[in-house]
Amino acid sequence: MQTGEPQAQAGALAAPAEWVLPKRPGVAANVWKFIRRKPLGAFGLLLVILMVSMTVGPPKAVFGVPELPDSPLGFELGKPFMARFDAKDVFREGERGVSVGSIDRFLEPSTKHWFGTDRGGHDTYSVMVYAARRSLFIGLWALFFATIVGCAIGVVSAYFRGWSDTLVQRFMDSIQAFPPLILLILIISVFEPNLTIMAIALGFVGVTSVQRIVRGVVMSTREEPYVEAARVLGATDLRTMVFHIMPNIMAPVIVVFTIGLGSVILAEAALAFIVPESVPSDPSWGIMLHFTQQHLPPFPPFLPFTLLEGDPEGYHTLAAGGAIVLSVLGFNLAGDALRDVLDPRLRVG
Amino acid sequence: MQQYILRRSILNLLAIFFVVTLIFLLLRIDTDHVVTLRAAQTQTSTPEAQAAARQQIREDLGLAGSIPEQYKTYLWNLVQGDLGESFQAKEKVTNEIKDRIGPSLELGLLQITVAMLVAIPIGVISAIRQDSMVDYILRFFAIALLGIPVFVLAIFVLTSSSIYLGYVPPLTEYRDLFPFPPFSTGRGVDVSTNLQIMFMPAIVGGLGEGAIIMRFLRSQMLEVMRQDYVRTAWAKGLKERVVILRHALKNALIPVLTVVGLLLGIVLSGNVVLETIFVIPGVGLWIVNAIGESDYPIIQGVVLVVAGALVFINLLVDIIYAWLDPRIRYG
Repeated sequence: MQTGEPQAQAGALAAPAEWVLPKRPGVAANVWKFIRRKPLGAFGLLLVILMVSMTVGPPKAVFGVPELPDSPLGFELGKPFMARFDAKDVFREGERGVSVGSIDRFLEPSTKHWFGTDRGGHDTYSVMVYAARRSLFIGLWALFFATIVGCAIGVVSAYFRGWSDTLVQRFMDSIQAFPPLILLILIISVFEPNLTIMAIALGFVGVTSVQRIVRGVVMSTREEPYVEAARVLGATDLRTMVFHIMPNIMAPVIVVFTIGLGSVILAEAALAFIVPESVPSDPSWGIMLHFTQQHLPPFPPFLPFTLLEGDPEGYHTLAAGGAIVLSVLGFNLAGDALRDVLDPRLRVG
Repeated sequence: MQQYILRRSILNLLAIFFVVTLIFLLLRIDTDHVVTLRAAQTQTSTPEAQAAARQQIREDLGLAGSIPEQYKTYLWNLVQGDLGESFQAKEKVTNEIKDRIGPSLELGLLQITVAMLVAIPIGVISAIRQDSMVDYILRFFAIALLGIPVFVLAIFVLTSSSIYLGYVPPLTEYRDLFPFPPFSTGRGVDVSTNLQIMFMPAIVGGLGEGAIIMRFLRSQMLEVMRQDYVRTAWAKGLKERVVILRHALKNALIPVLTVVGLLLGIVLSGNVVLETIFVIPGVGLWIVNAIGESDYPIIQGVVLVVAGALVFINLLVDIIYAWLDPRIRYG
């Protein structure tokens, strides 16, 4: 550097053009590079963006406290922009489909009802969009909970090692020894069903795997020279953990967060599918699937490709099942790509 | 080694103790609920009679004392191998678990068999043809299978078989595979009926598990293929088949054992979803009903058995590990 500076000055005076840095690639170029290098990841990201845009709506009451117990984000959003109708709208015109009383059950798809109507006369497409909001909110909250608690436990456990680490790890092992789905069903059936409890329960189950990964990373990070330097300089344990270790383990944490979202969405759907009476009753993909299955007399045709035979229930399954598959696929693919970009060490296959 | 096994066993017992305590406390959060559930079944007129009935129910169910007292009784019974009587059926939980573990175990073992049959060839092909079109396609399917929930796939398979093949498994009549204990439920033995019911859920569940194993095996294979001994094998002029099967796959399969062990542990808890859809009288279906009815002894019993099996299977996997791979030493 000592010799470089005068040279640079001289160069700048003589021929400024030589010293112009190469143009940094713009955002578009970066995006294009990502799409070319990781086509699957880009596809996953597209699915994630689609799912997120499904949940967006005008704010109803910002941080409205009265809604707190039931809406995991603490505020209510109005009808999603992508939904065509409110999820509670019941249709009664009665042209095709089975009309019970005056309610149009199981209408076939039309320009008005893209996926037809369900057993209660609701617009299936709109219900699906509402359900996306629930899935995403529960997923996000569960993962926030799991990540924060998991990071705290993982970092502290790995940082101090010794008997406290052993004790904490054995305790985590025992939580992991629970069959997860059974533990979830238990937790939500002990408490009143509401979205916040569900999010916390799902997060609680996730804590063990998050903390295990974080612990593994911290085990190697704590031996890094900069951590030692911080300690030599007299940083307290807390300071070392928060300012020196935490920022350096963010990459794996972000990856775990993304991949975890997919599995939490899957778990939430499975839960709603198995015990729909114990989960909150607002639109959910799992509940949609449950009633499709429940409604059916033994095994009638209701698959997508038999729809031509005129069975509108198929669209219901298609909407809910397709939504689950695509969103989980989206988060998995995006997470895989993100891992390759951010932290190749975590690569599994 | 013996010392290691002993130490791990003690730690496992500690973990099981944690599990038992946790589940006990979780269930004792709201005992009023279960009493109310039972009290609704008895007809009483006066509030006093109602209160007396409730107290009676509490005592019948062993929920009368304080929580520490209940805990002490529970642990004492547990040490003697008594898991208590179920609230609803008034049956010994140990006996009931014996009756139901068979179908779950069978389904689980079949699932893992299917998973291995699918995962090993696909994982190997995907690894030796890394970054080829075949590899991309196989990996995409594996990720897709991970994303498809079992319950969607199960409904899909069940209905398409009924539509296109006109075949519906005999879901109404479950029959045992073998007459002897782990597989008998006292419903009579009929191998063909049993397998007809089992093969669909086995394939559906096996595909998802296969995807997990396949991804893992692929990355292991990729690592092993770069090892010196594999290069030596190539250099000796061995056939591709021999190099891949004897030298690479054999070594790549060792870590896969861990994943299989974990899956085996989960299998014991019964596949809740598949058992519900395919009406298999296993542990999964039973415990979901038990949770719905707040049948505490059943829940506690099943969780204990599953957790115990899981931690000891893990230990077993680690021991087999050391046996298969002499480089691993436990001190």
